[in-house]
Amino acid sequence: EGPFRHSSSVMPAYKLVYFDVRGLGEVSRLLFHASKTPFEDYEVALNGDEWTTLKQKTPFGKMPVLYVDGKPLAQSFAIARYLAREFGFAGNSPFECALVDALGDQFKDYWVEMFPFFAVGAGLKEGDQKALQKEVGEPARDTFFTMLERVAKENGSNGHLVGDSLTWIDLAIADHIITLQNFSAGFVDAFPTVLAVREKAMNDPRLKEYLDSRPVRHF
Amino acid sequence: FSAISQSTMPAYKLYYFSIRGLGEVPRQILALADVKFENVGITKEQWPEFKSKTPFGQMPVLEVDGKQIPQSFAIARYVASQHGLAGKTPFEAAWVDALADQYKDFNNDFKKFFYLVLGFGEGDLEAAKLEHGIPARDKFFPLVVKQLKSNGTGFLVGDSVTWVDVLYAEGSSRVAHEVPGFLDDYPEVLEHAKKIHAIPQIKKWIEARPV
Repeated sequence: EGPFRHSSSVMPAYKLVYFDVRGLGEVSRLLFHASKTPFEDYEVALNGDEWTTLKQKTPFGKMPVLYVDGKPLAQSFAIARYLAREFGFAGNSPFECALVDALGDQFKDYWVEMFPFFAVGAGLKEGDQKALQKEVGEPARDTFFTMLERVAKENGSNGHLVGDSLTWIDLAIADHIITLQNFSAGFVDAFPTVLAVREKAMNDPRLKEYLDSRPVRHF
Repeated sequence: FSAISQSTMPAYKLYYFSIRGLGEVPRQILALADVKFENVGITKEQWPEFKSKTPFGQMPVLEVDGKQIPQSFAIARYVASQHGLAGKTPFEAAWVDALADQYKDFNNDFKKFFYLVLGFGEGDLEAAKLEHGIPARDKFFPLVVKQLKSNGTGFLVGDSVTWVDVLYAEGSSRVAHEVPGFLDDYPEVLEHAKKIHAIPQIKKWIEARPV
């Protein structure tokens, strides 16, 4: 599908280490499943003791970390982009890859902006979820999803944000929408073309087995 | 512009305000790649109209054959990937990306102090230095030193310059310039910036740049 595909002829051993949540790691899990690539899906309890010891062994004190034949790679979207390029979900030309990357960066900017709302919705912090939704969540959503809606429409309303096939940004946005809908039903109903991207990604036949069986998680 | 003939018309146009900011790294990557580009400075007056023509309502954007790529890192990676400046293997390229994102995470906190230094926004500079500047610095730069030491080539990843070297060199040199002595505990980082800025194409760009 993409310009990059399996850089080595022998499949490396992959191990993805992340918390037992979807968060920013789920896009990489989805890429493994969509490409039917075997990997060790190592989950660490979010509020457990294991993380305290594991933290110091990670490159930047954060997760997810991807181990490729034992060599670590950090940063959720660097991991997602690496896997997407290996498996053909990065975009169908260098230009498309750049647009996918730009959307990924925009998503991260939005993530930083809406994090105070997310943290309370996810139960990571105490706070007034309704107030944060109004003051933080909704403005961040409006900026980001208005742009996504326009991008999806200008791409031809074909169920993808870039090009005509599934990319890692489709997967990241689709999974994030599930979280938003868990926090507040109808939260992104004003963005139907983006919802169509979520529909198409979540109904991709390659993901059916995984999506039917993965644990149901709030975020 | 009317003096530029068709044959010398650059394939790339980079649009940004006439400041270094987020445009400087894409500019330096284009210079490093020896790629002809038109460096378009958009004024505050021109911005509202131009904004509506950009994909995300933001700059910088790189225009390639009339199509636009937004987001400075996406632009840098796009140009770098096509000119051998993004790592020699997919895994190296991924590490370049990881270090870039780590820089962004650092800057998201650090800028709460640094923007005040640059004169943007309002706030108590000393308080921001204590609450954001120093902690962010001391959390991030030890990791940078560790990476430089373990990679051992003078570059952050692999054995040749990548776009993330340019990013880090611009960031660290800017900080060291604006807040004298602030990075004195991290001499390896300052050495790295010197090394990158001594690369001929970058040296030439820095000497000739308007800001």
